[in-house]
Amino acid sequence: MLAGINKIGDLEWEVPIGYVPNMRVPGRFFLSRALTETLEEGAVRQLANVATLPGIVKHSLAMPDIHWGYGFPIGGVAAFDMTEGVISPGGVGFDINCGVRLITTPLTEADLAGKKRELIERLFAVVPTGVGAKSTMRVSNKELSDIMVDGARWAVEHGLGTEADLARCEGEGAMPGADPEAVSAKARQRGVPQIGTLGAGNHFLEVQVAREIVDPDAAKTFGIAEGQVCFMVHCGSRGLGHQVATDHLRVLESALARYQIKLPDRQLACAPVDSPEGRAYYGGMVCAANYAWANRQVIMHEARKVFAQLFGIDYDEMRLIYDVAHNVAKFEHHNVDGASVEVCVHRKGATRAFGPGAAGIPHEYAAVGQPVIIPGSMGTSSYLLHGTAAAMEKTFGSTCHGAGRVLSRSKAKKEVSGKELREHLAEEGVIVRAHSDSALAEEAPGVYKPSGEVVRVVHEAGLSEIVARLEPLGVIKG
Amino acid sequence: MSFEELEHTADVLMRVRGADLAEIFAEAGRAMFHVMYGPCEDRGITREVSLEAGSLETLLIDYLSELLFITEVENTVFCTFDVDIQGTRLSATARGEPFDPARHSGGTLVKGISYFDLEIVKEEKGYVVEIIFDI
Repeated sequence: MLAGINKIGDLEWEVPIGYVPNMRVPGRFFLSRALTETLEEGAVRQLANVATLPGIVKHSLAMPDIHWGYGFPIGGVAAFDMTEGVISPGGVGFDINCGVRLITTPLTEADLAGKKRELIERLFAVVPTGVGAKSTMRVSNKELSDIMVDGARWAVEHGLGTEADLARCEGEGAMPGADPEAVSAKARQRGVPQIGTLGAGNHFLEVQVAREIVDPDAAKTFGIAEGQVCFMVHCGSRGLGHQVATDHLRVLESALARYQIKLPDRQLACAPVDSPEGRAYYGGMVCAANYAWANRQVIMHEARKVFAQLFGIDYDEMRLIYDVAHNVAKFEHHNVDGASVEVCVHRKGATRAFGPGAAGIPHEYAAVGQPVIIPGSMGTSSYLLHGTAAAMEKTFGSTCHGAGRVLSRSKAKKEVSGKELREHLAEEGVIVRAHSDSALAEEAPGVYKPSGEVVRVVHEAGLSEIVARLEPLGVIKG
Repeated sequence: MSFEELEHTADVLMRVRGADLAEIFAEAGRAMFHVMYGPCEDRGITREVSLEAGSLETLLIDYLSELLFITEVENTVFCTFDVDIQGTRLSATARGEPFDPARHSGGTLVKGISYFDLEIVKEEKGYVVEIIFDI
């Protein structure tokens, strides 16, 4: 382990005040011995930098998929006091409400025999992917405003899903507090042609099979059974979200002097939660988050139609288990020193993991806790977990979001051939479809920490508990 | 003069060098489009950009962010940049070609330009800056 960090539990580590100057609280992160080998000093420094921000509550936290980003580390979680504290785009990232949803089908692997390639090709044909992808939908500027306020509900009201879908999204697929006035004309211009597009990078639509059920009772509650074919959608708010982040970061950076905030990293630019600049960022960020929920709803709808046509199953037989955000800031109530206090929780590459009985999770899941969906990297396992009381106590109800990279994209391209990778995965029965092989190399399984190890740590640390393991059958990539 | 990709696990970190500030900005543009699209040719499309900011670093972020916006909404890929810098004012002409999925799908989407450790440093023989592109 790096010098200056204290072990305070089997899987829990503390970054003491003083690791970097002006820390207000200690940092804490969760990691197994095996994963400490990949821990970057830069990521710990970023965790410590977050602890210098005004109004931070309890600890600056990081999940076991912690790695070096900018501003907050990836895997970072921090809560801020609503009056003394700040809100920061650096704690959310450029891809606002990047997130994941998991849908079950009534099919088994045997039902896919001989049709898997056709399924993947059809999905690739109907879901626009990659750099430069444009939507086939035409939405007006007025409709874009509706999307930014209503989120997934907008899609359902336009026939792209069912009322039941909304109940099974974090926040019912929309956050309150959207302020379309805080979204620039540029962000709108980028948002209009991209609704229902997957994007590029690590975003994907994957067909999976529930290979192992670890917690049968929770699996029953979530409606997933061993051998069941599922699909997973991973994407975010596209150019609209990127532009909202860019615009507000610029405003907040120039407002730092006004609020006398001194930062170790300009990417942590922030303003008091209750300031004109802070409120404007929040209102714009909510618009982007809601756009992302609508985006995933539209993509799910298109995929459902493909499954229904190809396999002769009913649209309604494909049940959304849940949709989670992993780049977002939210106002939530948490227990701080024995009292329920409203705080502004930032999760950057971290997933909400509310435990049993927590407010804001679907009634049907209340006894188990919210579903937590952890996508694997290409060709590796993904996991369904549930939130816990321990997460509520230790991490403001948060857990990991994915595997976390260990190899740079440039190294990946040198070490991995996208074509060989595609052929290798095909031999293992996983069909991969993308616009270019070079994009595949960048997202090869070996460039990520093993997702199983990251998930094992959150399970053993009690931040969320494994319900099911899913294995890929085919994937379309951006 | 040049750009080179450095090791960064999560994003793309580019070191950009230039004999003067104008060249730093031109090369930074080339670096970003290289990440996004791979090879590109000048096929007669030109686009003017004029900006002003409080510092050179903010100007660099604004300029790259503006190019990101233009490439996305106008479906153009740029490969050369003539840049003029006066103080913290920039005027630039970007040249390139229409986006073609068959030839420009070898890269990855840049989501934003990070302020993290961004500093334009004067060296003996010119300028250098390291830029993190969020991808």
